Amino acid sequence: MTSSLLYTARDIRNYSVFIWWMAASMLTFAAATILIDGSVIPAAAGWALTTATAILMVASMRSYIAFLRNADELLRKVHLEALAFAFGAGVVAMMCYRLCERLGAPKLDVNDGALVLFIAWIGGQWIGARRFAVAEEQ
Amino acid sequence: MDNRLRVLRAERRWSQAELAERLGVSRQTVNAIETGKYDPSLPLAFAIAKTFEMKIEDVFSPNGM
Repeated sequence: MTSSLLYTARDIRNYSVFIWWMAASMLTFAAATILIDGSVIPAAAGWALTTATAILMVASMRSYIAFLRNADELLRKVHLEALAFAFGAGVVAMMCYRLCERLGAPKLDVNDGALVLFIAWIGGQWIGARRFAVAEEQ
Repeated sequence: MDNRLRVLRAERRWSQAELAERLGVSRQTVNAIETGKYDPSLPLAFAIAKTFEMKIEDVFSPNGM
């Protein structure tokens, strides 16, 4: 496994673990949503899928914290600032959209708020990576 | 904080990637420290000084000193 400019080999390995847990939790979430909404499975199976989704999401969270704790210190700074940016953007978007809903904008559900957080988190990482972009080696 | 990282590295003919490997950090971290965009943590600053077999104050100094 090779290093990229910002990620050491250890960071790539730890981040891959997080990505796998997140992908598994997203797949389980999507499957649970489709099966429960379509009333394809009995209620007990629905609860089991929901519990499995929650467990996988907690595992994702734990793997991300482990990645952050062991990350290269500049990479950790980039990720922490991206999280702060996402949190702020999420609060602003959700609070302001509540007002927009009162003014007649279509109602959104909690998944749309999560989407704002996710996009802002990715955007924050991109901004951070650009800020510390590598100049030509001298 | 000012530093002499680039000069010290050039004296030893190390690339940024080579220094990053020795320190266990990314090349972007070495680059950001050299260009003054990022001040390293105290443990990393000590590790840098140890790598160059120098005192920390011979590698880093407060701005303008």
